[in-house]
This record gives sequence, structure tokens and C-alpha cells, in this order.
Amino acid sequence: MTYQDTWAAGRRTGTTPRHGGRPAAPVSPTPAPPRRGPGGRRALALLFWAGLVAAVLPWWLDTPAGSMKDTGDLLTAAGRITGLVAGYLLLVQVLMMSRLGALERWVGGERISRLHRDVGATLLVAVLAHLSLLLVAYAEADEQSVLGEVGVLLRDYEDLLSAFVAAGIMVLVGLTGIRAIRTVMPYELWYHLHLASYAALLLGFGHQFSNGAQLHSPGPVRTGWIAAYLLVLAALLWGRVVAPLHFNLRHRLRVADVVAESPDTISIYLTGRRLNQIDMLGGQYFRWRFLARGCWWQSHPFSLSAAANGRWLRLTVKVVGRHTADLRDLDPGTRVWAEGPSGTFTAAHRTKERALLIAGGSGIAPLRAMLEELPPGAALIYRARTPADVLMHPELDWLAQARHTSVWYVIGSRDDPGPRQVMSPDGLRRLVPDVARRDVYLCGPAGLVEESVRALRAAGIPRRQIHLATFEL
Amino acid sequence: MRRALLAITGLAAGTTALVVLKGSPGASQVATGERSPVVPAGSDPAALPGVAPTPDPSDPALSARATPGGRQSPTGRAGADAPRPAAPAPTTSAPRSTLRTVSGPQVTYEYGTLSVQITLSGTRIVNATGIGMPQSGQSGRRSDDVQATYSGTSGEVVRKQSADLDTVSDATATSEAYQRSLRAAIDRAR
Repeated sequence: MTYQDTWAAGRRTGTTPRHGGRPAAPVSPTPAPPRRGPGGRRALALLFWAGLVAAVLPWWLDTPAGSMKDTGDLLTAAGRITGLVAGYLLLVQVLMMSRLGALERWVGGERISRLHRDVGATLLVAVLAHLSLLLVAYAEADEQSVLGEVGVLLRDYEDLLSAFVAAGIMVLVGLTGIRAIRTVMPYELWYHLHLASYAALLLGFGHQFSNGAQLHSPGPVRTGWIAAYLLVLAALLWGRVVAPLHFNLRHRLRVADVVAESPDTISIYLTGRRLNQIDMLGGQYFRWRFLARGCWWQSHPFSLSAAANGRWLRLTVKVVGRHTADLRDLDPGTRVWAEGPSGTFTAAHRTKERALLIAGGSGIAPLRAMLEELPPGAALIYRARTPADVLMHPELDWLAQARHTSVWYVIGSRDDPGPRQVMSPDGLRRLVPDVARRDVYLCGPAGLVEESVRALRAAGIPRRQIHLATFEL
Repeated sequence: MRRALLAITGLAAGTTALVVLKGSPGASQVATGERSPVVPAGSDPAALPGVAPTPDPSDPALSARATPGGRQSPTGRAGADAPRPAAPAPTTSAPRSTLRTVSGPQVTYEYGTLSVQITLSGTRIVNATGIGMPQSGQSGRRSDDVQATYSGTSGEVVRKQSADLDTVSDATATSEAYQRSLRAAIDRAR
């Protein structure tokens, strides 16, 4: 079944509604936030590459040209390069997880976690290459078997035992990052293994200086490398401890009410102090920690489902697991620890003046908040399995009118002809003729997002105009 | 995932490219040409001024690493680039890693004047010795103590590859003078 919202039936964006009655509000109540270009992200990318060059440069400058005469030398050199790269990437990995405000707002948590996974895979390969190249090179130099050399390294070299442990931790963390393995293991185990990667950072620290050719002797390189470590630790401390502490002491969020939106979806309203001073945008998310029995030790990212209004915050959550089920029983007054706001899934990151929003199920939450801030003339396609799954229907209708937004509810399972037709390139073009000149914001289950991206790309929408919010990797 | 594969390929390609660029024989001509004095590794190190005769005069670079026990202190070897000689004996005509000698400045201290001379293979220190140290009496004993601890192909300088050495007890002034000259020599060499 495919039907258009009755309020906006047949309405083209920006025209007066035909159903008579009150005309849509001529002025938007809140102006759209100014655009945040990709400048910050590009600067960070530049910084990353500059850092990579700076990490390998000492080797380049230290090594006399033509000094490598045999296989052993070549292996040693390659081992050193991969070691320097691995050391640098490890720092980048930790930095990406530091939840530094600038990173979260410029790059966005979702993109960060994808980058974290990709850089992680590269790091793992770099570490293993570093380890095996040097092992083979040293074994050849010492005329030992490779296994014998492992013994020699562990016994005679400073800090190499801890370095081996660090490599082991990284291998474990890397393996558990593989999707197939990750899905079958309990979240807690995965989480604690990832915590252990901080230990890898510390355990791997020593051998870089006691055995690293470029870092052993005091000088600017060694100082710079230590400074990089200290900077990352400072960023970690700031992003994980200081900034959240400041935010929460300042705003002191508490649960005001828990409201059922549908049989399996709840909205949690929060109040606090100085809420009008939170610099947040619709579509961003916080990591929430509800300080109630059984919930306090878990922190989960949920999007805000209403734009900033200075009086309350709202998040809308689908009950899917034990934690979310417990959230239904939160008592008003429960303290909430929040970290954020994060994310680049906002109206400020638009590249065009108009937008198309595609929501699937509870993915409507961030889009609903964003609708309040997008320039007039947006379009929303809301996919839901049954009419009962449509959340916040009255609000959406009100927004459709107040913000000149066309809303289409596309109801049915993925294989029904209606939704299939709408979610095809042709269907999208028919519904929104200027779709190629719009930003497209997608939020919903991974399957829907993937399918929609394919259709959108086929309909000729450039990748940079497609904004995604999926937390499943 | 595609990006990860790209990154891994890039890592492999980048590492190979760097190694090949550095290791190309064309570049080695330039490098050896600008260094002086250039002494082939196979020549008698005794001919080098200031270099103490080594246990294995055929190849000081090798003997620095391969002591009778089979190995040096590990941090020494790993502490700096060690271009490994391919063969133990200088029988081949293949290009070998070159040795160069660098002297530190004369440092005057309580008991006399000394300067430190280091021998490097690539950026790795393979030998060190103090020159002009007083030889007689109490000061001579101090000189010998310091020389025995710091100098030589298996001394502390070669092991640590730096001028941050432990002070020899009862020879503080000599140790410090030695370290000062050594530090300058290392700075000059790198």
C-alpha cells in the first residue's frame, strides 16, 4: 500500500496546499542553521597524511642511500617502515576513539567508526608485517631459526616481551572486529577486548624507544614521537573525561517522562539546566548513560528526535534488546549522563538548498528533529512495515505544514510492489523530480539504507549529497 | 572494507617503494661520494687513525656485532641502523658498507685533555676510543677505567649508540669529558 499523507495530498513543494484551511506557515519558525562545509574534515585529512609522512620521514633521513646491500637489510628497512607506520596508525586509532568534540562534529561518529575499522585492518597488517619482517631479518643476521630468534628477542631485548603481548592483543582485537566473529560473540567480551587495546598502546610504547632505530637516540624525532603520544593521551582525557564532566555538571540532565510512541517504541523526555545553551543540531546524537539500576554501566548512542527548544530534550528508542527494554521502566528524576552532541547528520551539513529524507521505521527520530531545521521545501519518504509502525504521525503532519515539507508514507514489506516501485530509481525520480539536486538523508535499518543508496546512485545523485546514519557496521 | 584493502595495498606498495628508492645502487654512489674519509670495510682498521685494533681486524663492522658469545648486547644492535655486511670475509668484490671516522673536539678537564673518535658504519657506531688521555699515575688509571668501560667495539658507546653513558665510578671528571667530546662527535656524524 502506498499513500501520500492526507494533509499534503498532491502538494508540490512550495505551493499552497489545495485542501484549503490555514495556509502553511509562510515563514519558518527557526531559520536553517548556517552550513558547515567540509573544511574541517579536509583539514583533518590533511593532518592525517602530514602525520603519516612525518612518521616515516625520520627513517628516510636516517638511512644513507644505498646502504642496503642484502636481503636482510631490505627486510630490516621494510620492518622499520611498517613499524613506524603501525606506531602512527595506532595513535590515530586511539585518537579517533577519543570522542574529541571537533572530531565528532567535523567527521561524525558514523564515519569515524567506519574509518576506525578500515584503519584498524591496516594497522593489524602493518603490525604483523613489522613483526615478521624484523623477525626474519634478525634471524638471518643471527643465523638462528625464526622460532629460535623469537626466544632470543624475548630473552635478550628490552621491552620486547611487552611488545609481543601488545601485538597479541591487537591481533585479538582485530580478529574480533571481523563482522562474522563479532556477531556471534557477546558484546561485553568484544567491549572488554577493545578496552585492552589501551594496554596495547602502553605495552607497545617501550620497545619503540629501547629498540627503535629512529627513536632510540634523543633528538627532535624522539621528542616529537613522545609528544604525539602525550597529545593523544591528552585528547583521550579531554574527550572522554573532561568534556563530558563539564557538560553534565553544567546541564544535569534528568529523565522527565517516558512515553510510548508505539507498542515497541518509546520516547524519553529529559530536562536539565541551561538547555538553551547546548550547541546541538537536529540529527545529532548523544551517548546516553542512564544512571539507574542495571543500566548505568552501558552507554548507547541515540539520536535526538526533536530539535533544540531550550526546554527539553527527547530521544526516541526502539525496544530491541535487554537494555532498551529496561529503559521503559526508567523513573522520572533518574539522572542521565550524556556525551555529545556528535554527528554530521544535520541540516548544517547540507550541500544543496533542498533535501530528501528517507526514514525506515524508528530511523525517523533524527530526521524528525532535522525537519525543524531544514530549509523549507524538503521531502520525506517514510518507510514502515505497517501503519501501526508509523511513529510521531501528528508531529510529522504538523511539520509538513509548518515547514513546507512533502511527506510520503510508504507502507508495506520490502517485497511488496508498492514500496519496491517507490524505492527504485524511477520511483524516486517520479516522486521527487529534482532528486539529483537535493541532499538525501538516510536513516533506518542497514538493509533499507543499502538498497536506497543503490537506487539513489542509479538515479544520478552524487555520493557527497548522500548522508547516512547507520550505527551497524 | 574496500577502503581497508586499498590502504593495505598502499602500505605494501609504499613500503616497497621507499625501500627500493633508498636501496637503489644509483643513490649509493652519491652517498659514498660525499662522505670522507671513506674507508672500505675490508681494509685493515688499524690503518685508520685513532681506531684501536679490533679483535677481528678483517671486518670491524661485523666484529662489533658478533662477539665471541655470538651476539652483542641487543639494544646496541637494534638501537641504530646496522647495514649488515653480506659476507664474513672480504673475499668478494661486491660493494660493502663503508666506515667513516669522526672525531670529537678536544675537551680539557682536571687531569688533561682528551678527544673521542668514533667509527661509524652507516649511522651505527661500531667503535669508539679516547685519544690523548693521560697515561700515568692516578689519572692514567682513571683513563684506563673509562677506556675499558666506554671504548672499543663492545664498549658502552657501541652498546648504547648514544652519549648518555653511565658515569664510571671514581672517574667522574674523565667520564664527563669523554661524554662531552663523544656527544659532539655523534652530533657531527649525524
